[in-house]
Amino acid sequence: MKKIWIAFLLIGTLFMTPILADAAAKPGFDDKEIRIAQWGPQTGPAAPWGSVARGSGLLFNVVNEQGGIHGRKIKYFIRDDQYNPAQTKAVVKELVEREGVFAFVGGVGGACGLAVMDYLSENKIIWVGPSAAITQFVFPVKPYLFAVYPLYEDEGSILAKYVVEKLQAKKIAFFYQNDAYGKDGLEGAKKRLARYNIKFVEELSVEPGEKDLSSQMLKFKNSGADVVIMFVNPTAAVIALKTCATIGYKPQWVSSNTLSDYGLMFKITGGLWEGVITGAFGMTPTADHPLMNMYREAGKKYTPEERWGTFYLAGIVFADPLVEALKRVGPKLSTEACLKALNSIKGHQTIGPKVTWTPEIHQGTDSIQIQKCGPGGSHILLQDWTANDMAIWKKK
Amino acid sequence: MFEMLLIEGLAIGACYGLFGVAVAIIYKTSDVVNFAQGEMGMLATFVAYHIMTAYGWPFYIALPATLLFAILLGMAIEICILRPAKEPTVLGLLILTLGAEMLLMGLAGWKWGAEQKDFPFLLSVSDTVQIFPGFALNSWTIGVFVLTAVIMVLLFLFFRYSKLGIAMRATQQNENAAKIMGIKVERVFSITWGMSSLIGALAAMFFAARSVLDPNFMMEPFMRAFAAAVLGGLTSIPGVVIGGLILGIIENFFGYAWPEWKPIVAFVVIILIITVRPSGLFSKHYVKKV
Repeated sequence: MKKIWIAFLLIGTLFMTPILADAAAKPGFDDKEIRIAQWGPQTGPAAPWGSVARGSGLLFNVVNEQGGIHGRKIKYFIRDDQYNPAQTKAVVKELVEREGVFAFVGGVGGACGLAVMDYLSENKIIWVGPSAAITQFVFPVKPYLFAVYPLYEDEGSILAKYVVEKLQAKKIAFFYQNDAYGKDGLEGAKKRLARYNIKFVEELSVEPGEKDLSSQMLKFKNSGADVVIMFVNPTAAVIALKTCATIGYKPQWVSSNTLSDYGLMFKITGGLWEGVITGAFGMTPTADHPLMNMYREAGKKYTPEERWGTFYLAGIVFADPLVEALKRVGPKLSTEACLKALNSIKGHQTIGPKVTWTPEIHQGTDSIQIQKCGPGGSHILLQDWTANDMAIWKKK
Repeated sequence: MFEMLLIEGLAIGACYGLFGVAVAIIYKTSDVVNFAQGEMGMLATFVAYHIMTAYGWPFYIALPATLLFAILLGMAIEICILRPAKEPTVLGLLILTLGAEMLLMGLAGWKWGAEQKDFPFLLSVSDTVQIFPGFALNSWTIGVFVLTAVIMVLLFLFFRYSKLGIAMRATQQNENAAKIMGIKVERVFSITWGMSSLIGALAAMFFAARSVLDPNFMMEPFMRAFAAAVLGGLTSIPGVVIGGLILGIIENFFGYAWPEWKPIVAFVVIILIITVRPSGLFSKHYVKKV
């Protein structure tokens, strides 16, 4: 028995030694490169969101083409976690302990992020722009985690304000996914409506896998709602719109940014998405803006096979503040110096919302744009960057 | 509002029932619940999608080609995955169908990716047809009612009067006796799987037209259809369809009155019914003799 234990110990030591040596030898950067990584579903059910990680890759390609940051090129790693938190843990551990990454950017999936949040914090790894609006990421503040994604509660509030003031809706209903995403949106919208002394004529939930939404849509129809705000997943949105076409109900749909990939939504609804209004965390993909034009050209050069869509661009939005911080740090790079630079970012804006971080608040923004799906899945800008004047966290 | 809830409930219920029939046919002959049924339908629907979008062929060509594919797929799974199992128990076969499910899902994900797609179906949910003044139905709903009725009649005639149908029933009742009587039970199993796959593919295409097409799109409908089949009685084809209709109606009416209970109410009713009638509403309770 003793011999077996000794054999196990020996084998274990053999495996551990190179990992520890690797980690010790790789503080995340050297004179020539900075190692940055992202996990994201490249295969599996959430693979359409995998373009976020590839979008960040485009930004790093542009940075490297421009000579890198203070002489250092960015070495970028993408790992497929298949939207499975257990896999996320495995790939993040591998990236930290074997590849020795300096920082993470993006990272699709609330549950996936929560699975590695503490691990990254314990290992003092910077993580910028999680691709999910999870309040636990930022409240209470985590020293190494910096969020860009607008909170769903803020978005719900801004959309409700738009519906009341701009659309002049008389009867408003709310359709939400029965989880934190949907409930946060509902909460924000309710608080906003309370200010106008208005109540939703109907609030209905949907379970993520539900395939028959007839009763919900008939209830909305019966309520006489002229606007329905929805915080649901793409499949539920498609079924909702198709069911409404069946029962002859045509409200103005207003949705969260999660359904702002008009190219995809227009296609999978067979054109029913035209006219839907959504929040957006990035400029319209066709915006005539110097930075957007530059990224569009870079996209044609580096990744001509990619669809120039909302989530691909999100990869740039989430990763960009880290690039800005690394530029501010200068040649003497360290995790502490980078943290200091991130904490001093104020009103930084490229193709996403303005981002501001302080040592006390790591939620970077409360702003969204409001866009509308036009013919063929095109984006029409309805309202430029709008902040949530009711965001409680800003007053903390 | 009442008529709309009823029609919508019956329409989705008929779809559950139709898919439940596909599950029941295999169960009737081999006592196995095929957990790959949803994914077999999903793969066939993807084939139809591919024929229409990649080759640009019209639906009326894609449909027979897909149905042929579905039959071959069903037979192939039976021959290549289930048949090689040596002295299999029902549980063993059930695990094999779970393996087949994962295999088919992986295959679809690899070939067509996970991004949702719009399935260009012949019958649309937004084209309404005036049945009589003041009463209109969409073509999808009409289609699902007609198809379910036709399949039920055909299956009734098939199991009652055709040699093959009788052979299938005989195989289910006593496999060894059927063998002695000269029935080639292995062939019966293959044909059963082919038939079940064909009906499942038809139902899956209806589901896809109502929602989106992706490798996971049949997971939830399969669960509901299976529940409908259990409710009606897995060995009774009309029972399965009626089970589906009941499920659809319960979900819609309860969902309308108490939306937050919608996802579970049907299952609560099923548990209650199964407690009273373990074989389902329309199935005879068999006790196997040792």
